[in-house]
Amino acid sequence: MNIKTDNIRLSYGSTEILKGLGVEIHDKEFVGIIGPNGSGKSTLLKCIYRVLKPDSGCVWLGDEELRSLPVKESARRVAVVAQHNYYNFDFSVREVVLMGRAPHKKALERDHAQDYRIVQECLETVGMAEFADRSFSTLSGGEQQRVILARALAQRTPCLVLDEPTNHLDITHQLQIMKIVRNLGVTVVSAIHDLNIAAAFCDRIYVMKNGQITAAGSPAEVLTSDMIARIYQVDAEITRDSRGNLHILFI
Amino acid sequence: MRKSIENNKSQMAGSALFAVAFTVLLVFLVFSVLASITFGNADISLKEVYSVVAFELFHVDSLSDYGQGAVHDVVWLIRFPRVVLALAVGMGLSVCGVVMQAIVKNPLADPYILGISSGASLGATLAIMLGVGTFFGSNFVGIMAFIGALLTSFAVMGIASVGGRANAGKLILAGMAVNAVCSAFSSFAIYIVNDKNGAAEVARWTMGNLSAATWEDNRVILPVIVIGTLLFWTQFRSLNLMLLGDETSVTLGTDLHKVRLIYLTLSSVMIGFAVYCAGVIGFVGLVIPHVIRMIFGTDHRHLIPLAALLGASFLIWADVLSRIILKNAEMPVGILVSMIGAPCFIYLMVRRRYGFGGAGE
Repeated sequence: MNIKTDNIRLSYGSTEILKGLGVEIHDKEFVGIIGPNGSGKSTLLKCIYRVLKPDSGCVWLGDEELRSLPVKESARRVAVVAQHNYYNFDFSVREVVLMGRAPHKKALERDHAQDYRIVQECLETVGMAEFADRSFSTLSGGEQQRVILARALAQRTPCLVLDEPTNHLDITHQLQIMKIVRNLGVTVVSAIHDLNIAAAFCDRIYVMKNGQITAAGSPAEVLTSDMIARIYQVDAEITRDSRGNLHILFI
Repeated sequence: MRKSIENNKSQMAGSALFAVAFTVLLVFLVFSVLASITFGNADISLKEVYSVVAFELFHVDSLSDYGQGAVHDVVWLIRFPRVVLALAVGMGLSVCGVVMQAIVKNPLADPYILGISSGASLGATLAIMLGVGTFFGSNFVGIMAFIGALLTSFAVMGIASVGGRANAGKLILAGMAVNAVCSAFSSFAIYIVNDKNGAAEVARWTMGNLSAATWEDNRVILPVIVIGTLLFWTQFRSLNLMLLGDETSVTLGTDLHKVRLIYLTLSSVMIGFAVYCAGVIGFVGLVIPHVIRMIFGTDHRHLIPLAALLGASFLIWADVLSRIILKNAEMPVGILVSMIGAPCFIYLMVRRRYGFGGAGE
């Protein structure tokens, strides 16, 4: 399923955060959004996953406008892994992941064996199956984030939004989460801080600055010394390793 | 594959644990009802007590001697309705405590957090001190308290919804503000009227008391509480989502805004009836949810029914104690509840690692 935004504008008070944004993520494409802090990446994603309402413009999920869909239906199309997921309670890991089945449930419907099976599969996908009965709050940051990813997977959506999901994670867990997502074969749009990770995993990259898209294209097209200097005000050298992968070295 | 079978097993073990706990608590509740009616100041034998109950419930002809007289009246018109009221109020307070803690995402919340207790007290104070609402008939104090409770909780919801959606923080602040206003007016009324007897009655009333129980009231409050509890039980999924916050729950397909207002209204009605029949009984609604959570976790599909059963039994026994602990006198059950409940709670808190409330990180 493709995701499209049309001329999205959003202001907090008199500050315009998003200044008429249009992005398009094609079916099963992995698209990264990069840009400095405060450029509006998260705000744009929040408009896509329906937590913020744009002042004007619209978001399309497939053929329908986001706001025309019931909340349940949009949660059956887009799942989210956001940056901060600290919860203050004693849910078990299984209970947290089971909540991912909520959009598929009618008001009085019980959880069936199939829901538990899906939960189990998703926990296995993220390598957390043996933690199913642990209390969520006792897990490390990386483990919690993998459980949240499992919850998003349990929604069984054709699209996944990642809102800087690997912040605060060490490199092992960053790569692990990105690899899991990469292999899902669903439409992914992700805000990414680490340019090397963006280079390694994205099919296409949008570059945001001051609430606008300033560049778009494949990693090789977008991630140039010139562009990085313009957006982040740092000097960088772009190299390719022996396998032809792109690397950004900051000088 | 073996791992997934093991996990299925442990998941089934979780449900089995719940089933066992539910059955045990249900049996204990039935036992509590039957046992508690044998306690009291009047000296009535076990055989007499159960003969009265058996006659009233099944109209057994051989027991028709027990269909009237002093023994019948004490057991059937005083003790039994009181036990049923304790059951209903204990259940209602516990369930609404769970719901309020979820709605405002705060472990310190109790059923009265949105100003219901102070609103009820204000209503009762106005009735006792100034005679407001005497045209409601003999229980006009209770009716005024009911009206006060409902009005304050709607006022709090209204204030919290001004200028955007009511969220947890705004609800708590609005609740505190309305609380302060109501308490101030109650104190003002007590101070101005300066009626010592009235003030004592207000104090007695705000401590909570189950002695005014009648079958007429029970016929209303018991169905309200039981149906409310069952409704909230069906809402376990949304209650779970509330703890994750509004943003996450939108991404999981539930817009909490409307749901929250519906839950608030339903629990206000439940608590309003509890206040009408029994005054303000503290502590139960705060602590019973935590006790269940410590043992069975936060999942509301288990939390709601278990808290309902435990709360009902707890208040029944607290009321029994309040009847017999002083010779030929009664203690307000609210005082006793805190006296026994608080140390038990501290014991549990110290003994077990407990996350809900900030111990996580």
